[in-house]
Amino acid sequence: MEKTNTPKSHSPVGESKPRIDAREKVTGAALYADDIQFGNKLLHARIKRSPYPHARIKKVDLTRARALPGVKAVVSGEDFSGYIGLYLKDRQIFCRERTRYVGDPVAGVAAINPEIAEKALGLIEVEYEVLEPVLNPEFGASPQAPLLHPDLGQYVVASFILPRPGSNISNHFKIRKGDVASAWKKCAAVIERKYRIPHIQHAPLEPHVAIAKVDESGEVTLWDSSQSPFAQRDLIAETLGISQSEMRVIAPLVGGGFGGKAGVSMESLAVAIATKVKGYPVKLLLTREEEFYTAFVRQGLVATFKMGCDKNGRLLAMENTFYWDGGAYTEYGVNITRAAGYSCTGPYEVPNIKADSYCVYTNHPVGGPMRGFGMPEMHAGLEQCIDELALQIGMDAVEFRRRNCLKGGSILPTGGKMHPTGLSECLEKAAEAIDWGKKAPPTAPNKRRGKGLALMWKAPAMPGNAGSSAWIELAEDGMLTLGVGCQDIGQGAFTVAAQMAAAAFGVPYESVRVATPVDTRYSPYEWQTVASRITWSTGNAIINAAHDARQQVLDLVAKAWDETPADLDIVNGMVVSFKSEREIPVKDLAIKGLPKADGKGWMGGPIIGRGNFMPADVTGLDPETGQGEKAVVHYTTGAQAIELEVDLDTGRIDILKGVAAFDVGKAINPDMVKAQMEGGLIQGISSALFECLQLKDGVVQNPSFVDYRIATSADLPKSVQSIIVEVPQDDGPWGARGIGEHSMVPTIPAIANAIYDAIGIRFEGPPFTAEKIYLAMLEAGIVKG
Amino acid sequence: MTTHTHPTLPEFDYIQPKTLAEASQFLAQHPDEARPFLGGTDVFVRMRDGFLTPKFLVDVKNLDGTNDLRFDPQAGLTLGAAVNMNRVIASPDVQEHYPLLAEACRLVASYQLRTRATVVGNICNASPAGDTIGACLALDGVLHVHGTGGLRREPLATFFLGPGKTTLKPGDIVTAVSFPVPPKGCAGAYLKLGRNKLSDLSLVGVTVLGSPDPGLPSRFRFRIVLASVAPVPLVAAQAEAVLAERAVAPESIRQAAQLASEASTPIDDVRASARYRKLMVRNLTEMALTEVWKKLQK
Amino acid sequence: MAFHEIKLTVNGGLEQVRIPSNMTLLRMLRESLALTGTKNGCSAGECGACTVLLNGEPVNSCMVLAVECDGAEVVTVEGLAGDQQLDPVQEAIIHSGGVQCGFCTPGVLISSRALLDRNPDPSEEEISEALVGNLCRCTGYIRIIEGVKEAARIQTARS
Repeated sequence: MEKTNTPKSHSPVGESKPRIDAREKVTGAALYADDIQFGNKLLHARIKRSPYPHARIKKVDLTRARALPGVKAVVSGEDFSGYIGLYLKDRQIFCRERTRYVGDPVAGVAAINPEIAEKALGLIEVEYEVLEPVLNPEFGASPQAPLLHPDLGQYVVASFILPRPGSNISNHFKIRKGDVASAWKKCAAVIERKYRIPHIQHAPLEPHVAIAKVDESGEVTLWDSSQSPFAQRDLIAETLGISQSEMRVIAPLVGGGFGGKAGVSMESLAVAIATKVKGYPVKLLLTREEEFYTAFVRQGLVATFKMGCDKNGRLLAMENTFYWDGGAYTEYGVNITRAAGYSCTGPYEVPNIKADSYCVYTNHPVGGPMRGFGMPEMHAGLEQCIDELALQIGMDAVEFRRRNCLKGGSILPTGGKMHPTGLSECLEKAAEAIDWGKKAPPTAPNKRRGKGLALMWKAPAMPGNAGSSAWIELAEDGMLTLGVGCQDIGQGAFTVAAQMAAAAFGVPYESVRVATPVDTRYSPYEWQTVASRITWSTGNAIINAAHDARQQVLDLVAKAWDETPADLDIVNGMVVSFKSEREIPVKDLAIKGLPKADGKGWMGGPIIGRGNFMPADVTGLDPETGQGEKAVVHYTTGAQAIELEVDLDTGRIDILKGVAAFDVGKAINPDMVKAQMEGGLIQGISSALFECLQLKDGVVQNPSFVDYRIATSADLPKSVQSIIVEVPQDDGPWGARGIGEHSMVPTIPAIANAIYDAIGIRFEGPPFTAEKIYLAMLEAGIVKG
Repeated sequence: MTTHTHPTLPEFDYIQPKTLAEASQFLAQHPDEARPFLGGTDVFVRMRDGFLTPKFLVDVKNLDGTNDLRFDPQAGLTLGAAVNMNRVIASPDVQEHYPLLAEACRLVASYQLRTRATVVGNICNASPAGDTIGACLALDGVLHVHGTGGLRREPLATFFLGPGKTTLKPGDIVTAVSFPVPPKGCAGAYLKLGRNKLSDLSLVGVTVLGSPDPGLPSRFRFRIVLASVAPVPLVAAQAEAVLAERAVAPESIRQAAQLASEASTPIDDVRASARYRKLMVRNLTEMALTEVWKKLQK
Repeated sequence: MAFHEIKLTVNGGLEQVRIPSNMTLLRMLRESLALTGTKNGCSAGECGACTVLLNGEPVNSCMVLAVECDGAEVVTVEGLAGDQQLDPVQEAIIHSGGVQCGFCTPGVLISSRALLDRNPDPSEEEISEALVGNLCRCTGYIRIIEGVKEAARIQTARS
């Protein structure tokens, strides 16, 4: 919905403006956290980590490490108390009694160079008593499993997270809607399937890095690669027992986040060590190998789906159970479980639902948010079941989806109503672009060709009161400076923010600067750059800030010209009057105001606009039924379609074509929306074909790019098509919704459905490696042994 | 596999000898502490991983002709140890006379890694996965080794003893690898199966070189070398014999491929299972032989 | 550990540095010369974020010892642009939208420059092959490849 207060001039919103930070990024001038120079007082930190997935710490001896010349500090769990975590405070900075995954921090060293820090690690002596690990979430949820967090009942927890003290279940989200038991009898077809989705890792090109410094006065500064500077200020300060305003987080550009740099993970280690060497900046830079097993990973999932429909293909019931492999600490992961729970049906209207989503502690790496927040994992199985159900009643899979997919007004699994959505349009456009229903011959005799399609939905998963804010100032030259606390992690947040500020205030895009780096001392508050919420939430705050500044300008000029503000507008940086046709550049009054009409003194003053935004109407859900008025702010929906070939000689998959169609409400920057769709599609393809953290007895077997393969420039589909659908969001800026995460949600099932179309085989889970495909074809008699 | 990796290269002393003799002498005097290196693409990685902890790294590039790439119509090709793979790929002589070698180099890692990676380094690392070793074996490569006792020649065929193990002794430095002029009318293929289309290590690699040979019953001679499916680069001798004895045709090619597969002894690892590797030896050998056979018939 | 005095040319300027044996070219650029445009993504020659030109050819600077660069000529991303204008690869990748988080960008640009130096009119396949050593997690490579094609056109037009 266009805000009435918005300028009538030509708007940069909806135009594909070039990235605001592109020039500094191509010249090497762009500053990332590891690039900041600290001089020769800089200390280098390294972490002594648990080699066991589950162990009791019997003794930690730091004496020899402390004695090594060049070592400035050695710390362990004894030096710090308290717990940290976003939704559930279940994590210690350094382990005290117990370690819970291979890589769990036991001690930390700061030394004058990385080589000495590394040597000191070898001098730290730790005695462990090895305990039985939990390596499987289904077993972990059972009463037979060893208890990993006996203190679960004492942990501080958000009101909407429901842990089960005395078990390894740190959240149990339920939906009980309608009557599933009796619905099965009315079904013409019912299927039941089980899927295992492996752990994967974000693998941003920039590894995690944090530099912390504590002043003699106790004030803390943290420079880091972060999606969440404000959340880090809050959580780290609280855990270390300092007040939030004494903790300053400076977060320069982020070299890829994908959720892995949200919340707090390794940053607290750097800060904790720095408290013991006041005055020295302490840098902790994860190696690529540490990135793979000690930073957040995407949780594994074991999912069972039971679903049924009538003979017309109407979905009647779903019974879904999710066991999330949350890892050693589920402080952030508990909410992934909840998000998957309230979205458990996928983008379909289902009258009868029983769903149980369990977050389970295991002795695996720490599960955390990753692009899609549970949705790619959940949709991976769900969207294959939809295909199978359609097949069972003899209906085309697109037709089946056409009938069942959510429309505006459809009833949601949590009870409320769906807002207007372009999901049907996404479905039709994706099907059309992939030539659905037409079978092309393979490109060679040793190939099989197939097509697949999948739908998706995803809502921003966040507390109901996650806030954004923004400010706007003007300089003497008329340039507008926009302050925001959101982070550009590559998705283009600063560019889109600048476009929105320009449009809402009335200056050209080129006249906007974004005040960076984000610094909690000077930047306005932002909850976190996660959940694809920035365009929508920060965007609304920016509009409010721009309108505030604009109103100040218009009121001032109206007074000076003796006109009413309603007759004035700001167009391309000029205040114009439609009534008198007078005009004045904003820069002439932005700082120094205007003289009073009688010449005696001045009026106005430096223009500064402020705005904030917080969703107001998200309600809680009933803990027993999962029902409530409004579970989330909105859902972005979309579809992907894939055409591929399977090579019968090797099992290799070649993606011929990928199509993405998403309803973004309004594309503020269409090219960048398409870039998100492309990047997400390729990341989705990568997760479908290559990616898996190979866990054996709790140890990641492939913690490097040598053996954790991701898509390269040679693995692209021959053609990719991105389609923007725009059904406006009523409370979105210019109607916009987020698109960052959604673009990789339906990729795994779209590929799985295409593989089935090609060779008639389904798999328990990705990655669909050449080996897995080939051996399955062998089993099925498609190729010879 | 290691999870604990150094943040930097561990400490060592860089040694740059002026002559081969000096280099050999230093290496022989520090048999457990010194290690020669060329491009370092393998050594540095293994040092970060903690598998190698040399006290001295001896740079054997830029020594007495190690940068030369020479072709002579009679003597054949000599690649100096320091000649990087991109130079091999770009060399018109290699492209014309040894296209199999160029193709094998092209499938190694990435362009920027190949600026450093060398064929001799690939050979000396003696990884069963080495992409260029198959071509070097099939092309009858001979190593030029400088040891404390002076220069000697060592045929590749007997060079490999196990993963990372060769006949080289402390003080030995490979200065070049040379190849005779390939048989007239020969054709080759290197088929590599990685997880990604390019840039990965080989899960299985199959090198085939075929040439007319009137002395054989089939009138064709085939060399077949397998990567990543045995402790050393594996010459599939029985498969080669079948194609020397029987007329070359789809049936004998299939039989040879089957024999190659049976000769392989791959292991299960994070990259692939032994079972899949064995099957892929069969399929890739059949494909490579078929491709080479087609070229030979032209 | 031994230290070495070396002289080399970096982005056209002569540098003299004292470095220990185990210092990589990457660390020397970032730590000794404060040229932080070159990025450290894996320290293992796998990701390509640290790619620089060494004597005109691209290398993973994490896999080269600084001491090996005595007398060498090094070009980093900071040295790509001329005084008056950006290098065609820089200009083109901005327009094609091939920059997102920007962390792989310096390495991508160096590899692209090296490609256009040896092949001024590469095909799409040649471009994707030349960039397999530069991992990108954001863009899906599509707009990077478009950018290199565009850069070839700009380069031809400029010459």
